[in-house]
Amino acid sequence: MKENVIIIGGGVAGLEAARQMLSLGLRPIIVEQSDHLGGHVACWHRLFPDMTPARELVAKLVESCREANIFLETTVQSINRLKDGYAVMLSNGVNILSRAVLIASGFKLFDAAKKEEYGYGVYDHVITNRDLENWFAGAEDLRIPREPKVFGFVHCVGSRDIKAGNTQCSKVCCMTAIKQAIEIKEKFPGCEVFCFYMDLRLFGKKYEDFYLNAQRDYGIRFIRGRVSEVSETIDGRVQVKAEDTLSGKPLKIQMDCLCLMAGMQCNPSATSIADMLHVEVDTDGFLRSKDNIYSILESQKPGIFFAGACTGTKTVPETVAEARAAALSIFNYLSR
Amino acid sequence: MIDRIASGFHPFVLPFLAGMFFVFGYCIYGILKILLQLPREDRLQFYKSLITPETAVKNVKDIFLNCLLHVKLWKRNPMLGFMHSSIAFGWFMLIVLGHVEVILFVPERIKFFYYPIFFNYFVAEADSTVKGSVLFFLMDFFLLVVLVGIALAVIKRFRSLIFGMRRTTRPSFLDLIGQYALWAIFPLRWLAEGFTAHISGGSFMTIPLNWMARQFLGNEFNMLPTWWAYSIALGVFMFVLPFTRYMHIPAEMLLIPMRNAGLRIRHARRGFARAEIFSCPSCGVCIDACPMSVKKANLKDCTVYLNRHIRRGHEKRVDEISDKCLLCGKCQAVCQVGVEGPTLRMAQRATRRYSIEQDYSGIDTRPLADAARGSKVLYFAGCMTQLTPRIPRAVESVLKKAGVNYVWMDRDGGLCCGRPMLTAGKIGEAKQLIRKNEQIISESRAHTLILSCPICYKIFREHYSLPGVRVIHHSQYFDELVRLGKLSPVKGSGSVVWHDPCELGRGSGIYEAPRDLLGRCAELREAGHNHAESICCGGSLGSLTLGFAQREAMTRNALDDLVKDAPDAIATGCPLCMSTFGRYADRPVKDIAEILDESC
Amino acid sequence: MMEFGFRLSPSSTIDLDRADLSLYRKIERLEPDMKTCMACGSCSATCTAGQYSGMSMRKVILGLQRGTDVSGMLSCCMLCGKCTMVCPRGINTRHLILSICRTYEKK
Repeated sequence: MKENVIIIGGGVAGLEAARQMLSLGLRPIIVEQSDHLGGHVACWHRLFPDMTPARELVAKLVESCREANIFLETTVQSINRLKDGYAVMLSNGVNILSRAVLIASGFKLFDAAKKEEYGYGVYDHVITNRDLENWFAGAEDLRIPREPKVFGFVHCVGSRDIKAGNTQCSKVCCMTAIKQAIEIKEKFPGCEVFCFYMDLRLFGKKYEDFYLNAQRDYGIRFIRGRVSEVSETIDGRVQVKAEDTLSGKPLKIQMDCLCLMAGMQCNPSATSIADMLHVEVDTDGFLRSKDNIYSILESQKPGIFFAGACTGTKTVPETVAEARAAALSIFNYLSR
Repeated sequence: MIDRIASGFHPFVLPFLAGMFFVFGYCIYGILKILLQLPREDRLQFYKSLITPETAVKNVKDIFLNCLLHVKLWKRNPMLGFMHSSIAFGWFMLIVLGHVEVILFVPERIKFFYYPIFFNYFVAEADSTVKGSVLFFLMDFFLLVVLVGIALAVIKRFRSLIFGMRRTTRPSFLDLIGQYALWAIFPLRWLAEGFTAHISGGSFMTIPLNWMARQFLGNEFNMLPTWWAYSIALGVFMFVLPFTRYMHIPAEMLLIPMRNAGLRIRHARRGFARAEIFSCPSCGVCIDACPMSVKKANLKDCTVYLNRHIRRGHEKRVDEISDKCLLCGKCQAVCQVGVEGPTLRMAQRATRRYSIEQDYSGIDTRPLADAARGSKVLYFAGCMTQLTPRIPRAVESVLKKAGVNYVWMDRDGGLCCGRPMLTAGKIGEAKQLIRKNEQIISESRAHTLILSCPICYKIFREHYSLPGVRVIHHSQYFDELVRLGKLSPVKGSGSVVWHDPCELGRGSGIYEAPRDLLGRCAELREAGHNHAESICCGGSLGSLTLGFAQREAMTRNALDDLVKDAPDAIATGCPLCMSTFGRYADRPVKDIAEILDESC
Repeated sequence: MMEFGFRLSPSSTIDLDRADLSLYRKIERLEPDMKTCMACGSCSATCTAGQYSGMSMRKVILGLQRGTDVSGMLSCCMLCGKCTMVCPRGINTRHLILSICRTYEKK
């Protein structure tokens, strides 16, 4: 008989893990609290570094998970530890027994309104990376002017910030900002684009090339200084204050639109599941792996596995790789 | 009643006499020292107040109500009030009645200080008189009152929770000696008077004791040792008194007239401050009240320990305690003797010498003055409010809806109000900033100045000289606009709790205007602790040394208390409280202006 | 060495081998969080005094770490606390400023 494996979260990690489990002969059951599969990536337009349309990736993954059991708009009500496995009760009343549980609940995008000084939700032309991505994907957004002359990106909003409760680096925002800056520049070639950064962390494959392109081919300007406050001018433009730390002078600039690169923090539903399972939360607020080098995908409890951003900030390729590895780990665990 | 001992003297009175002379001498020395430390004009003001009939009457009344009856303590904690007033008032009545007895029966002995105290030893009952029995009854009655108080005090020492006190101070060695002596005095007096009761007469307390004791022991044998013990207990108590918490008894009798004379703390340790420091009874009410006490590490940083370390000259700890405090003022609000914890600390901070001093004379205020011109109503958002754009945006929106013509004078930045400098003890620098802002505002010819930040509001009200300008917090101003009919908010379905910011509530006494305004916009709920008891958000600029991480527990504790009644939202009127709470709150935290703006 | 009555302009190199870090060492003990500064510049950008003087908390911390003179910048600080509010590392900048002003020894 095929064995059930519960996957909590139907994002990229959950889908990829399910796909692998199917091919390994397991019976994955995906529990997703939202009304769609693909998680954050499903709301994204294009993915760096190859500008892959996010929809294609999600569609491909969903297609290959057709055989899996999928519960949308469903949450985990309770999990009880049995002698050899777990009894999971879902909000739709379904009870599932499973010897292994994969937590792939991903991250929550930082609520940019919490950084009050940036005026998200207060000023007319302050948006977030997600808003911009939605707009790229075709959604309407009145906050983005028709012909912006000056466009700004603020890195590290809610990341590396003890005041926001997140000390970790969100890893992807530097690259996302550069990607989005290039996309803005492509849409509005006459627009000046500025990126305000503390450190540019461009560690991945082809990221540095992107940076080079952004500088050389698109003329995007990088200012090393964290934005301290944003105000609105009488004519409704956004005024940004930062220190240009390289010249050592305070800097002011008016813009038509300002995009805040909201970072990642652990999904609160991951934390509540961790509570049910008595799985520890790490000092950075994400779930704690057995160890952070050799057993990232294993929890300290037998049969509980992790994949993707529930254990820390991750890029899409990292998440996909982790999901695959987690599926294999679970297969090995079940066939002991 | 007749004299029993011809000389009117027995050596057992010596310990008491020595103690009494010592304590009187010490108090006179202490009073002189404090008076001489006062600045000359304060001293004259004090003397004048003593002979002004109104203040003189008030002094007597306040001393009677607070030092003897402990009226304030009754209101706060009836059990503690009962305990303290029964000891203090009962003892006082024993002394008074003792004198009455001496004057009535052996008037020629009044010149002996000890006679009223040891009256029962020196007299014998001749013909029992009606007058005597009433007095004896009263004496026994007040002795019983004191004994009940002492019994409660003993219980409190070991089970303070019964009295609603989670934490109390740890007494010092001398405090303990004083305390045991105090506990011993009245049971010993009962025994002593009891054993003598067949000679001197007595009443319902002493006569039964006398009778019982006679059955087992024989009184003659017990009499002298107990009178000796009673006198020694008194002597020990009075000898250690100046070095214990009991010093608050005489000190408060000086503090009350000084306060009624309108004196203020002008020096960290001397004069009035010294009177306050010695008036601290070490009761420890401020420990539970202090918002920092949610963390065990801060338990010894509240005002009672400040006073203790100042008395003992532990300069390092005094500095630490002074710098750590949030200056929220709650210890002062709950203090029974009114020790001004925050002011004492600010005075201590003012004693620092800095090798780099600030000088703002180079700042050109003309652009700021230009920005402030053009309307009779000025809006000054303040430094912190620039980091919370929701507040000025809502204030502007409301002002526009009410049709108020205003100018936002620090839209492009302004000068600091000076309160942070003042609380850091840098008075000179604060004054410079005050002068600069005064100049900008008076040049604008405005008649109303609306402030969004209670920190600014407090210093503008107390230290600015702006004749003809009405300084007002936006919550009050908007409340007025609503009353005048210029705004008509529609009451929504949600509920909201009002957090009293320290500087607005305890600091400036504004409690009702914001509540009134909120009540018109939403269902008003109250926090577990509200009004003067409100708990500081933990974000206060008052603390110099508390780091960001150390404040989280305080904020969470304050938040838990705020949402006791499950409100939908939290409202406040201070940018600092708003950002601090916003960091950890599980529901929206809004400025009162935002809530008004949404409902009209 | 012979004095010629004139000198070459002083070297513009920061010589960490010879830098006087005594102030840094003292301040470090009073406010250890200072070492966590990542030079983002938020404090300097938000500074109320910044627009009137060369006040920059970031530069003050950097100057301390490099052993250069920082006293001039602090003369316009108003202790308003905005820098403390925005610091992403939670450094108690106000206490840092007061500590420097107290500990600094005029050369």
